[in-house]
Amino acid sequence: MQESWLLIVASFFFGLLIAVTSSGLSPRIRQNEINKRNRLVSALLPEAKDFVPLDEQLEIQSPRGKPENIDIYKAVSEANECVGWSFEAVGSGFADKIKLVIALDKNLEKIAGFDVLASNETPGFGDRIKTDYYRDQYKGAPAGELKLVTVGEPGKIDSEIVAISGATISSEAVVEIVSNYVTQVKEQMQKKGIIGNGKQ
Amino acid sequence: MENSNDNTSRYVQTMIAGLWRENPTLRLLLGMCPTLAVTAAVKPALTMGCSVIFVLVCSNIIVSLMRNLLKPHLRILMFTLTIATFVTIADLFLKAYLPRMSEMLGPYVPLIIVNCIIICRAEACASKNPLFVSIIDAVGMGIGFTVTLCVLASVRELLSTGKIFEVSLMPNAFVPWAALGMPVGAFITLGLMIGLVNIITGKKA
Repeated sequence: MQESWLLIVASFFFGLLIAVTSSGLSPRIRQNEINKRNRLVSALLPEAKDFVPLDEQLEIQSPRGKPENIDIYKAVSEANECVGWSFEAVGSGFADKIKLVIALDKNLEKIAGFDVLASNETPGFGDRIKTDYYRDQYKGAPAGELKLVTVGEPGKIDSEIVAISGATISSEAVVEIVSNYVTQVKEQMQKKGIIGNGKQ
Repeated sequence: MENSNDNTSRYVQTMIAGLWRENPTLRLLLGMCPTLAVTAAVKPALTMGCSVIFVLVCSNIIVSLMRNLLKPHLRILMFTLTIATFVTIADLFLKAYLPRMSEMLGPYVPLIIVNCIIICRAEACASKNPLFVSIIDAVGMGIGFTVTLCVLASVRELLSTGKIFEVSLMPNAFVPWAALGMPVGAFITLGLMIGLVNIITGKKA
């Protein structure tokens, strides 16, 4: 028990030091996260000026049946009109989780695109899910079930996504995440009447 | 007068030890995890190096100041507590001011807590030496670590992408050697570097 006062004093002092730093920096850190998501979504929905979260969260089931609550953001233009919707989506990739941000058009008919918020795919192979070659195939694709094919035309925009050669698992993972979230978000938003009347 | 000369040469010796003779990565083989993990490009390697310098200097200062209060059974606990505090602070700063770099480094910033260079310097130097020597030691070791990481990262980044600091340096005909950007490349490059340093020091001795 000798000298344990040192441990107590030190813990208190260090705890205080971390608390002060954390409280000083946390608004900035939160802002960084928001900025990043907004920057990515702005590239997908060029008319968007602001992103307003819906009051209600949606519950999404993962393919393995795990429920998750997500925020849906309404993208509004300068004239305060709805130009699209966006939300974050997570799923298993090749080695680690893949975190995406997905944007849909205002009527939830088409996918406006996706971008990668965080991933740990193999450099040179799986991480090519971030390239335009792969991502452009989603821009304008129908908002519903997507299918991965290994042979096809990447330039043709439809529900068929052409896999990246050498990275079928990562390609499949993104298709699965997008299909899963988009179908459920669309279904729930229509059921709740958030969209469908053309205004909101 | 003689005394102050002795001191100065001791400081210089401590500094050089960290940079070359006892270089933490190449001679002591400490801190291998970040060395292998974050050296695919120069920028993350440099960020990692600077974070380690910050943590190393702060922890050596604190440990050196309380060295007379430390009892053997509390020693390691106090080291870990000190190191964890400064790593958390470094992590928060990176998240706030270098968000992209913080994302790229991912879990390797919090993992500085278990970087054996830092605990080694606390145990081997700071807990036995006065403040100023401890600071010099931390700076020397930190710079030694950072320089090694940057050299390793430059070789890997140049050969795996043809760029350094994201600036293209290679002729158009250069075919990027993607394997060097992956963990395999880290092991091979580090092995060759350690071998090279062994040859150089072997010749001198």
